[in-house]
Amino acid sequence: MAITQAMCTSFKVELLTGTHDFTNSTGDTFKLAMYAIGGGGKSSTTATLGASTTAFTTTGEVASSGTYATGGGTLTNVTPTSSGTTAFTDFADLSFTTATITARGALIYNSTDSNKAVAALDFGADKTSTAGTFTIQFPTADASNAIIRIA
Amino acid sequence: MISVDSPVVLGGVNVMTSDDGGLSAEQVTELAMDKIMKISETAPPAIRDQAAVFRSNIQKVVYHYIELARREERATIARRMDKLGNSEMADLVRRI
Repeated sequence: MAITQAMCTSFKVELLTGTHDFTNSTGDTFKLAMYAIGGGGKSSTTATLGASTTAFTTTGEVASSGTYATGGGTLTNVTPTSSGTTAFTDFADLSFTTATITARGALIYNSTDSNKAVAALDFGADKTSTAGTFTIQFPTADASNAIIRIA
Repeated sequence: MISVDSPVVLGGVNVMTSDDGGLSAEQVTELAMDKIMKISETAPPAIRDQAAVFRSNIQKVVYHYIELARREERATIARRMDKLGNSEMADLVRRI
Protein backbone atom coordinates (compact mmCIF):
# COMPACT_ATOMS: atom_id res chain seq x y z
CA MET A 1 0.00 0.00 0.00
CA ALA A 2 1.77 3.09 -1.20
CA ILE A 3 1.63 6.18 -3.28
CA THR A 4 4.01 6.19 -6.23
CA GLN A 5 4.55 9.29 -8.32
CA ALA A 6 3.46 8.41 -11.84
CA MET A 7 1.58 9.50 -14.90
CA CYS A 8 -1.36 7.10 -14.99
CA THR A 9 -1.05 4.61 -17.84
CA SER A 10 -4.75 4.94 -18.66
CA PHE A 11 -4.17 8.69 -19.06
CA LYS A 12 -1.47 8.05 -21.67
CA VAL A 13 -3.93 5.94 -23.63
CA GLU A 14 -6.60 8.63 -23.23
CA LEU A 15 -4.19 11.25 -24.61
CA LEU A 16 -4.14 9.24 -27.82
CA THR A 17 -7.92 9.06 -27.93
CA GLY A 18 -8.34 12.79 -27.28
CA THR A 19 -10.21 12.27 -24.02
CA HIS A 20 -8.85 15.17 -21.97
CA ASP A 21 -9.04 18.89 -22.69
CA PHE A 22 -6.75 21.07 -20.58
CA THR A 23 -7.83 24.36 -22.17
CA ASN A 24 -8.40 27.13 -19.65
CA SER A 25 -12.08 28.04 -19.02
CA THR A 26 -13.59 25.99 -21.86
CA GLY A 27 -11.75 22.72 -21.18
CA ASP A 28 -12.52 19.89 -18.77
CA THR A 29 -12.58 20.35 -15.00
CA PHE A 30 -9.63 18.75 -13.26
CA LYS A 31 -9.48 18.18 -9.53
CA LEU A 32 -6.78 17.34 -7.02
CA ALA A 33 -7.68 15.00 -4.17
CA MET A 34 -5.31 14.27 -1.29
CA TYR A 35 -4.50 10.88 0.18
CA ALA A 36 -2.93 9.35 3.25
CA ILE A 37 -1.14 6.11 3.93
CA GLY A 38 -0.91 4.04 7.11
CA GLY A 39 -4.64 4.16 7.71
CA GLY A 40 -4.64 7.96 7.79
CA GLY A 41 -7.42 8.32 5.24
CA LYS A 42 -11.05 8.80 6.22
CA SER A 43 -12.53 5.72 7.91
CA SER A 44 -8.92 4.59 8.57
CA THR A 45 -8.34 3.71 4.92
CA THR A 46 -4.99 3.66 3.13
CA ALA A 47 -4.31 4.88 -0.39
CA THR A 48 -2.69 2.91 -3.18
CA LEU A 49 -1.95 5.22 -6.10
CA GLY A 50 0.38 4.92 -9.06
CA ALA A 51 0.65 4.21 -12.75
CA SER A 52 -2.13 1.62 -12.60
CA THR A 53 -4.69 4.03 -11.07
CA THR A 54 -7.45 4.61 -13.60
CA ALA A 55 -9.94 6.82 -11.73
CA PHE A 56 -10.58 8.84 -8.58
CA THR A 57 -11.08 6.68 -5.51
CA THR A 58 -12.30 7.52 -2.03
CA THR A 59 -10.07 4.85 -0.47
CA GLY A 60 -7.34 6.56 1.49
CA GLU A 61 -8.59 10.06 0.75
CA VAL A 62 -8.17 12.47 3.64
CA ALA A 63 -11.31 13.69 5.39
CA SER A 64 -12.87 17.09 4.77
CA SER A 65 -11.29 19.84 6.85
CA GLY A 66 -11.32 23.62 6.52
CA THR A 67 -11.76 24.49 2.86
CA TYR A 68 -10.77 20.95 1.77
CA ALA A 69 -13.86 18.90 0.89
CA THR A 70 -13.68 15.22 -0.01
CA GLY A 71 -13.35 14.84 -3.75
CA GLY A 72 -10.63 17.47 -3.67
CA GLY A 73 -10.14 21.00 -4.88
CA THR A 74 -10.81 22.24 -8.39
CA LEU A 75 -7.68 23.07 -10.36
CA THR A 76 -7.38 26.04 -12.67
CA ASN A 77 -6.11 24.83 -16.04
CA VAL A 78 -3.42 26.68 -17.91
CA THR A 79 -3.96 26.21 -21.64
CA PRO A 80 -1.31 23.86 -23.08
CA THR A 81 1.50 25.43 -25.04
CA SER A 82 4.93 24.45 -26.32
CA SER A 83 8.55 25.49 -26.14
CA GLY A 84 10.95 24.08 -28.67
CA THR A 85 9.76 20.54 -29.30
CA THR A 86 8.14 20.04 -25.88
CA ALA A 87 4.42 20.57 -25.27
CA PHE A 88 3.28 21.16 -21.70
CA THR A 89 0.42 22.21 -19.50
CA ASP A 90 0.20 23.60 -15.98
CA PHE A 91 -2.26 24.33 -13.17
CA ALA A 92 -2.47 27.28 -10.81
CA ASP A 93 -1.28 26.57 -7.27
CA LEU A 94 -3.96 25.22 -4.97
CA SER A 95 -4.45 26.13 -1.28
CA PHE A 96 -6.74 24.84 1.42
CA THR A 97 -7.10 27.06 4.47
CA THR A 98 -8.02 26.45 8.12
CA ALA A 99 -7.38 22.79 7.39
CA THR A 100 -6.11 19.99 9.59
CA ILE A 101 -4.72 17.50 7.09
CA THR A 102 -1.97 14.91 6.93
CA ALA A 103 -1.41 13.76 3.36
CA ARG A 104 1.26 11.69 1.65
CA GLY A 105 0.19 12.32 -1.91
CA ALA A 106 -2.50 13.38 -4.31
CA LEU A 107 -4.36 12.36 -7.44
CA ILE A 108 -5.16 14.69 -10.32
CA TYR A 109 -8.29 13.54 -12.12
CA ASN A 110 -10.77 14.71 -14.73
CA SER A 111 -14.10 15.29 -13.01
CA THR A 112 -15.77 16.18 -16.32
CA ASP A 113 -15.05 12.75 -17.75
CA SER A 114 -15.97 9.95 -15.30
CA ASN A 115 -13.26 11.03 -12.81
CA LYS A 116 -10.56 9.53 -15.03
CA ALA A 117 -7.12 9.61 -13.42
CA VAL A 118 -4.35 11.82 -14.80
CA ALA A 119 -1.42 11.54 -12.42
CA ALA A 120 -0.52 10.31 -8.96
CA LEU A 121 1.69 12.64 -6.94
CA ASP A 122 3.95 11.50 -4.12
CA PHE A 123 4.81 14.25 -1.62
CA GLY A 124 7.87 12.24 -0.51
CA ALA A 125 6.80 12.35 3.14
CA ASP A 126 3.68 13.02 5.17
CA LYS A 127 2.81 16.71 4.98
CA THR A 128 0.69 18.14 7.78
CA SER A 129 -1.22 21.33 8.40
CA THR A 130 -2.96 21.88 11.72
CA ALA A 131 -5.71 24.48 11.56
CA GLY A 132 -3.56 26.09 8.91
CA THR A 133 -2.90 26.35 5.20
CA PHE A 134 -2.04 23.40 2.96
CA THR A 135 -0.60 24.64 -0.34
CA ILE A 136 0.30 22.59 -3.40
CA GLN A 137 2.63 24.53 -5.68
CA PHE A 138 2.97 23.33 -9.26
CA PRO A 139 6.36 23.56 -10.94
CA THR A 140 7.32 26.36 -13.29
CA ALA A 141 5.42 26.05 -16.56
CA ASP A 142 8.26 25.47 -18.96
CA ALA A 143 9.63 22.68 -21.13
CA SER A 144 11.94 21.40 -18.36
CA ASN A 145 9.71 21.56 -15.29
CA ALA A 146 5.97 21.74 -16.09
CA ILE A 147 3.70 19.25 -14.39
CA ILE A 148 2.66 17.48 -17.61
CA ARG A 149 5.06 17.46 -20.54
CA ILE A 150 5.28 15.64 -23.83
CA ALA A 151 8.92 15.86 -24.79
CA MET B 1 10.10 0.67 -38.90
CA ILE B 2 9.70 4.25 -37.72
CA SER B 3 10.09 4.87 -33.99
CA VAL B 4 9.76 8.20 -32.18
CA ASP B 5 11.05 8.74 -28.65
CA SER B 6 8.51 11.15 -27.18
CA PRO B 7 7.96 10.51 -23.48
CA VAL B 8 5.09 11.90 -21.45
CA VAL B 9 6.76 13.37 -18.37
CA LEU B 10 5.37 14.26 -14.96
CA GLY B 11 6.87 17.14 -12.96
CA GLY B 12 7.08 17.30 -9.18
CA VAL B 13 4.95 19.50 -6.93
CA ASN B 14 6.06 21.43 -3.87
CA VAL B 15 3.95 21.30 -0.70
CA MET B 16 3.95 24.07 1.91
CA THR B 17 1.94 23.85 5.11
CA SER B 18 1.33 25.92 8.22
CA ASP B 19 -0.14 25.42 11.69
CA ASP B 20 -2.56 27.66 13.52
CA GLY B 21 -3.03 30.20 10.73
CA GLY B 22 -1.86 30.97 7.23
CA LEU B 23 1.55 30.74 5.62
CA SER B 24 4.23 33.11 6.92
CA ALA B 25 5.82 35.83 4.81
CA GLU B 26 8.96 33.66 4.64
CA GLN B 27 6.96 30.71 3.25
CA VAL B 28 5.15 32.85 0.68
CA THR B 29 8.51 34.33 -0.33
CA GLU B 30 9.89 30.83 -0.80
CA LEU B 31 6.92 29.88 -3.01
CA ALA B 32 7.43 33.03 -5.08
CA MET B 33 11.17 32.44 -5.44
CA ASP B 34 10.57 28.91 -6.70
CA LYS B 35 8.60 30.43 -9.57
CA ILE B 36 10.91 33.38 -10.20
CA MET B 37 14.34 31.82 -10.37
CA LYS B 38 15.98 28.41 -10.41
CA ILE B 39 19.74 27.87 -10.36
CA SER B 40 20.98 24.99 -12.45
CA GLU B 41 23.03 22.45 -10.54
CA THR B 42 25.11 21.92 -13.65
CA ALA B 43 26.01 25.59 -14.16
CA PRO B 44 29.71 26.51 -13.87
CA PRO B 45 30.58 27.31 -10.19
CA ALA B 46 31.32 31.00 -10.84
CA ILE B 47 27.98 31.54 -12.57
CA ARG B 48 26.19 29.49 -9.93
CA ASP B 49 27.68 31.62 -7.12
CA GLN B 50 26.76 34.83 -8.91
CA ALA B 51 23.23 33.55 -9.50
CA ALA B 52 22.90 32.59 -5.83
CA VAL B 53 23.82 36.12 -4.73
CA PHE B 54 21.35 37.60 -7.21
CA ARG B 55 18.65 35.18 -6.01
CA SER B 56 19.31 36.17 -2.40
CA ASN B 57 18.92 39.87 -3.26
CA ILE B 58 15.66 39.25 -5.11
CA GLN B 59 14.43 37.15 -2.17
CA LYS B 60 15.01 40.04 0.26
CA VAL B 61 13.04 42.42 -1.97
CA VAL B 62 10.15 39.97 -2.41
CA TYR B 63 10.04 39.29 1.34
CA HIS B 64 10.02 43.01 2.15
CA TYR B 65 7.07 43.73 -0.12
CA ILE B 66 5.11 40.66 1.00
CA GLU B 67 5.53 41.82 4.61
CA LEU B 68 4.51 45.34 3.60
CA ALA B 69 1.42 44.04 1.76
CA ARG B 70 0.37 41.97 4.79
CA ARG B 71 0.86 44.94 7.14
CA GLU B 72 -1.04 47.34 4.88
CA GLU B 73 -3.89 44.82 4.47
CA ARG B 74 -4.14 44.47 8.25
CA ALA B 75 -4.16 48.25 8.59
CA THR B 76 -7.05 48.50 6.13
CA ILE B 77 -9.01 45.74 7.91
CA ALA B 78 -8.36 47.32 11.32
CA ARG B 79 -9.51 50.73 10.07
CA ARG B 80 -12.72 49.23 8.64
CA MET B 81 -13.37 47.52 12.00
CA ASP B 82 -12.71 50.76 13.85
CA LYS B 83 -15.20 52.59 11.63
CA LEU B 84 -17.82 49.92 12.39
CA GLY B 85 -17.25 50.36 16.13
CA ASN B 86 -15.23 47.19 16.69
CA SER B 87 -12.19 48.87 18.21
CA GLU B 88 -11.13 45.87 20.34
CA MET B 89 -11.13 43.60 17.29
CA ALA B 90 -9.28 46.30 15.36
CA ASP B 91 -6.57 46.35 18.04
CA LEU B 92 -6.27 42.57 17.84
CA VAL B 93 -5.79 42.72 14.07
CA ARG B 94 -3.18 45.49 14.42
CA ARG B 95 -1.17 43.38 16.90
CA ILE B 96 -0.97 40.26 14.65
